[in-house]
Amino acid sequence: MPGKGKGMNRVIGYIFIVPAVIYMLVLIGYPIIYNWIISFQDVTTTTLGSAVRDFIGFDNYKAVFSDSTFKKSIINTFIYTVGCLIIQFSIGFLMAIFFSKKFRFSQPIRGFIVISWMLPVTVTALVFKFMFAEGNGIVNAILTNLNIIKEPIGWLLKGNTAMLVLIIANSWVGIPFNMLLITNGLNNISNDIYESASIDGANTIQKFFRITVPLLKTTILSVLVLGFVLTFKVFDLVYVMTGGGPVDATEVLSTYSYKTSFQLFQFGQGAAAANILFVCLFIVALIYLRTISKDEVM
Amino acid sequence: MKNRNILMNILAVVIACVFLFPLYWIVINSFKLDSEIFAKIPTLWPKEFTLKAYQEQLSGLAVTLKNSIIIAIGSMLISLVLSVPAAYGLARYKVKGSKLFILIFLITQMLPASLVLTPLFLTFSKLNLLNTYLAPILSTATISIPFIILMLRPGFLSLPKELDDAARIDGCNAFTSFLRIALPICKPTVITAACFSFVYAWNDLAYSMTFNTKDTMRPMTAAIYTFMNQYGTKWNSIMAYGVLLILPSCIIFVTMQKHIVAGMTSGSVKG
Repeated sequence: MPGKGKGMNRVIGYIFIVPAVIYMLVLIGYPIIYNWIISFQDVTTTTLGSAVRDFIGFDNYKAVFSDSTFKKSIINTFIYTVGCLIIQFSIGFLMAIFFSKKFRFSQPIRGFIVISWMLPVTVTALVFKFMFAEGNGIVNAILTNLNIIKEPIGWLLKGNTAMLVLIIANSWVGIPFNMLLITNGLNNISNDIYESASIDGANTIQKFFRITVPLLKTTILSVLVLGFVLTFKVFDLVYVMTGGGPVDATEVLSTYSYKTSFQLFQFGQGAAAANILFVCLFIVALIYLRTISKDEVM
Repeated sequence: MKNRNILMNILAVVIACVFLFPLYWIVINSFKLDSEIFAKIPTLWPKEFTLKAYQEQLSGLAVTLKNSIIIAIGSMLISLVLSVPAAYGLARYKVKGSKLFILIFLITQMLPASLVLTPLFLTFSKLNLLNTYLAPILSTATISIPFIILMLRPGFLSLPKELDDAARIDGCNAFTSFLRIALPICKPTVITAACFSFVYAWNDLAYSMTFNTKDTMRPMTAAIYTFMNQYGTKWNSIMAYGVLLILPSCIIFVTMQKHIVAGMTSGSVKG
């Protein structure tokens, strides 16, 4: 009842909210803390079942950092993330502007290409693997037909091209998503501003750099940071498409951590590698939260 | 001006073709014969349409399809039961710590599965939850809960407070007012949320593959991965499996495209 006092209302509020909070704390919060503990313990298949496990200090971290594959996977994760961000953001931005123009097919097509976001990444990885296959892949067939290449390329058999294909496959999902978020930002800019600028004699390029870009600043920042987080944590795509290979050419932090835990059964080291991933993501997540809280003040 | 418009439309169609091509490629190759798949030059259209690739999958499909459905529906139910009231509570009630709660959801949404795989595996193994439906159900729900809360909150915020007051005067309590007034008004977004949580669990590979190592407990995503490793070049069969995997997402997307697209923005960025 209205009037039953604030105390009652607060309790009801908590009844609505708290179960979800507890659920997330138990299934995500607790594992993250547990992960730090494991990373300082000797956890292998033999010690897995035992109640007491030895604390071994920073040994897991030392082991991980002395592994050349781990170093490679850090570099690869950054190359992959930066590569994806550049492609997704620039093409996504151009497409957002293109589809914000009013013409017949703009709205339906813009809405439809976002479908890639909903598909299982496993299938995305598989179809790109098929398209870039050496023998019967459509990409080699097209490039050969256009006389761009003479011999079919084994895209996924060489490190550099395998990374390129991963970036392309991820961008297939990322470009429409970036476009969608930027479109959202563009829609928030009132048309009046452009109209008054036109009256003042501004041309299209001036309008873009003097109005669109400054007013989109927070959108741009949050799209980039969100994109970073979503790309940096890649697992399914790399795991299914290349498995980190050839050798370790496309190994990323998450696949490295997974393999260390579940193929080599070095759970302690796997946890240590996951924690490095966590630190990277957490820093970026904090930057993201700062950006959007500034946005709120505006 | 008219010419420019035609040019824009043509360009838009070209973009659509490029972006939808992988989807086309999945579908069209699932209808090809082995001989056509193994041919040096890929064909854009099958010389002969066949359902052979699908028939080959049928025997193994029953189990994995059932697993996928149970995991996705279970995860969806947990997500909805927890996150819809939470989104409503955060919008309707001013409680201490609500900013902290939103922060928790924002941060947990950003953290990937690979981060908690090892500790959850150890915990689930202690609780004897490995190779049960509960392990993937519980873990995949963590993907959609934060997303749904962020996605639904703005909708609940936009409901006038007077609506709730009026319901209370008519004899509703806080909970029946939520169930009888707020929920029906926000029905379209709640249905969208249900779709998202279903699809997120359906699409999951990392959790299900790690916790459920038995073939009989694995969902389709894990099965298609295993199949690919065994029969790497039988692309028609792999794509047939792929078609079945993308089918729910595609049906949901096509039927409720507007809601889905709106939900994607509000759920990912911030409400």
